[in-house]
Amino acid sequence: MSTFDFLMQGFATALDPMILLYALIGVTLGTAVGVLPGIGPALTVALLLPVTYGLDPAGSLIMFAGIYYGGMYGGSTTSILLNTPGESASIVTALEGNKMARAGRGGPALATAAIGSFVAGLLATLALAFLAPHIVKLALVFGPREYFALMVLAFVTVSAAFGESTMKGLTSLFVGLALAIVGIDGLTGQARLSFGVPQLLDGIEVTTLAVAMFALGEALFVAAQGPAMQEKVHAIKGSVAMTRADWSRSWKPWLRGTAIGFPIGAMPAGGADIASFLSYGTEKRCAKHPEEFGHGAIEGVAGPEAANNAAAAGTLVPLLTLGLPTTATAAIMLAGFQQFGLQPGPLLFATSPQLVWGLIASLLIANIMLLVLNLPLIRFWVKLLTIPRPWLYAGILLFATLGTIGLNPSPVELFMLMLFGVLGYLMRLYGYPIAPVIVGLILGPMAEQQLRRALSIAQGDWTTLVSTPLAAALFGVALLALVVPPLLRWRGKGAVLAQIAGDED
Amino acid sequence: MKHTLLSVSFAAALAMPAFAEDYVIIAPAAPGGGWDGTARAMQEVMQAEGISGSVQVQNVPGAGGTVGLAQFASSAAGDASQLIVGGYVMVGAILTNDSPVSLADVTPIARLTGEAVGIAVSASSPIQNITELVEMMKADPGAVSWAGGSAGGVDHITVGLLAKAAGVDPTSINYIAFSGGGEALAAILGNQVTVGISGVGEFLPQVEAGTLRMLAVSTEERWVGTDAPTLMESGYDVNVQNWRMVAAAPGLSDEQKAAVTADIDKLATSAGWKAMLETKGWADTYLSGPEFDAQLAEDIEATTAILTDIGLVQ
Amino acid sequence: MNGSDIAFERRPDGAAFIIAALLAGLGSLLIWQGMIIPDKGGYAGIGSGDVPVFIGGCLWLLALTHVWKGLRHGGTRFPRQQPVPVLFIIGGLALQMILLHPLGFSIASGLLFACTAAAFGRRNFALSLPVGIGFALAIYGVFDQLLKLNLPAGFLETLIFGS
Repeated sequence: MSTFDFLMQGFATALDPMILLYALIGVTLGTAVGVLPGIGPALTVALLLPVTYGLDPAGSLIMFAGIYYGGMYGGSTTSILLNTPGESASIVTALEGNKMARAGRGGPALATAAIGSFVAGLLATLALAFLAPHIVKLALVFGPREYFALMVLAFVTVSAAFGESTMKGLTSLFVGLALAIVGIDGLTGQARLSFGVPQLLDGIEVTTLAVAMFALGEALFVAAQGPAMQEKVHAIKGSVAMTRADWSRSWKPWLRGTAIGFPIGAMPAGGADIASFLSYGTEKRCAKHPEEFGHGAIEGVAGPEAANNAAAAGTLVPLLTLGLPTTATAAIMLAGFQQFGLQPGPLLFATSPQLVWGLIASLLIANIMLLVLNLPLIRFWVKLLTIPRPWLYAGILLFATLGTIGLNPSPVELFMLMLFGVLGYLMRLYGYPIAPVIVGLILGPMAEQQLRRALSIAQGDWTTLVSTPLAAALFGVALLALVVPPLLRWRGKGAVLAQIAGDED
Repeated sequence: MKHTLLSVSFAAALAMPAFAEDYVIIAPAAPGGGWDGTARAMQEVMQAEGISGSVQVQNVPGAGGTVGLAQFASSAAGDASQLIVGGYVMVGAILTNDSPVSLADVTPIARLTGEAVGIAVSASSPIQNITELVEMMKADPGAVSWAGGSAGGVDHITVGLLAKAAGVDPTSINYIAFSGGGEALAAILGNQVTVGISGVGEFLPQVEAGTLRMLAVSTEERWVGTDAPTLMESGYDVNVQNWRMVAAAPGLSDEQKAAVTADIDKLATSAGWKAMLETKGWADTYLSGPEFDAQLAEDIEATTAILTDIGLVQ
Repeated sequence: MNGSDIAFERRPDGAAFIIAALLAGLGSLLIWQGMIIPDKGGYAGIGSGDVPVFIGGCLWLLALTHVWKGLRHGGTRFPRQQPVPVLFIIGGLALQMILLHPLGFSIASGLLFACTAAAFGRRNFALSLPVGIGFALAIYGVFDQLLKLNLPAGFLETLIFGS
């Protein structure tokens, strides 16, 4: 009961008109910066934190929450419309979202992303308020072997993003895994594949690779078709708003995405990107028309967008209950909290409940504000695609490089951007999917480190990997996900083949 | 739309008070670790005290900070607005990684703080004190898994020194490196590893909440905020203090270096910084100028000897 | 992609063999780099050199699969490409990379903008270059001056926004 009272008290403070104005400014600024490719919510908050100085605590708290949510949402807009993911968690959004946008369905894609983010943000924030102490216990059960099992599950699940040919999908994945080796090994400090180049010791930046392969590769590919051959992009075809069918196909993915995203975000080594991969794979498996995936399936936007927002709220669980900042975003938020006297830690809920509930109420209000701001703007955003092609792509490339330059203005980084852009072009040309490369780069090092940690703790005993029920269960699910679909496909081969022949994409 | 956006940004920018020089501080570790904490503490105090209008912290994690150091040395050269946080761990990491970039490639400005290394177990662990832990190591060193920071860092060095002092082969320790404080702490709290080793400051809030038990601290004297014994008084001749410093970019003119040193002096003598050290449980070991340069050279020499001794450097 | 929109051409020699060679090359590089790493496996039994060797091996397997498929299916089909637009874009990126620090963000990025527009058929540099530079300057103003993102400044930025 007192929980509820605190929440209501938080709302009462936050509903002041001046406070709402701060929320609006925060959401607007956050969206504006978050739109840049390569600049995710963490950097957005870091860049804009100074804007909140000098406000009263309530105002700065709400503006901060607004910036945070705005930054998260900004990334999906560019993913969908321009095929340039703003951060690693919105990479899968680009897969289906951009296909939808090209078919004139950018409006519904943006709407399902916005409403899905809202629903996920709302549910996850409420879960944070009421379930945090329980969730955190679950999170601590995860040790290296469970994380490794989770990574294996993620690898299997994202095979959904492989496209038609397993060989090509695996080739892309292993190119990503090979790129992931570059840099210093986290466990021994050993430099690998760096050839004495100091910039390579950093490894390859995920956002650099993603922006290069998606935005540059795409621009090169489209340009190379020549003016006559270029496929038509429809800015708007049919309704800008979501149709009844869109709603009925979206609401389940929103809920599933939230259910996947929140607990994974709460794990100290989880993260929004893994949550979005798992959600995408799940949606493809649950969909009535899995063959639409890769050609603009709305479920593939709704699920991952909900998942990455829920995961972001999930990272607040270890932060608020244990004082563990587990992601860059959480660490930046920590700095933000400290600014208004909130010292996250194991005793936070007990010692300063007003501030915690004020924050939670702020997050809820910022979330609503984001929806209010963005839904009417969708009409404006989709008009971007009516810009004549030379100017549109010139602008996309300018923004794509801006993200990289803003992060690290080194010629080496720009050279890598160009190199991977050409690689992305060649891969498109020969029909190799792009997403598995990035998935390999993200998951590869995590899987390797967790495996080696698990084995080190067990002194080289491989049976440790399945020695807890949780790890064994995760491996079991991964095995099922690997074995069952080919079996089903084999049994229903005739029907599926007929369908593919009928589709003729 | 563009107009509203712009005018809103302008309004927000105008609302910000004008300040002196802007700084970017590189924290060469993942969020949640000690250097990250130091960088963010500097950020907070420098802004609050008006030493700088806008301080950004960037995390460049990996390999005991040499990743961040290498990037800093190459990309920040000649830029007086960039700083990097570093420390004792970096001295070791440069040696163990055979790093092409060393502290000679940046401009060390001052030593800011020092902190004891703490050894802690989860509250539900059967291990009650440091002697029991060492006995376990003597029986089977591989069965005692240690969660700590980067390989070859101060945590790793301390475990090696403890093993050596207790008569256990230092090369046989089972040390598991985590790149950020948050993940290592979660592994200790979740009983994934036998014991954790990290800066005392990272453990204290958990000790206070009763979720961790501190077994020992690595400094000569006991540490404020915990009644854990020192390793020395427990009979192991180990004395390690993890100091942290701030360095500026290479290739600065003398005037630039003096200006940065002056800003850091202002920071270190400010009331806000003293208060910050108090809350963080860091000891003030501020040292700058030629005295710091001499001390640093001495530390590098001593660390090389220790690492060779325990087999981390050939 | 709409396959029906694009003219396809049969290449009996097959790009599959070139791709296979590239994969095998990458695989060999990984195996070689993994092998020269001194063993630091410790208690895990798997050291920093073992994972590259494993991934290198998998790349070799994929290379062999490509060869096998290439032999069976007689090569990969791919659409006819126009080299000029591709060179325009790569040239624009190269110009931006080289000129970013000497000339500053706006001019370098304006060149990229104009080159990209040219790649898509708008070859009127007298129009596209000023538009690009103006656009880049506006971006610089918003992101560097207002939002404190660090972008390299050249004489143009210093002239307009001061130092």
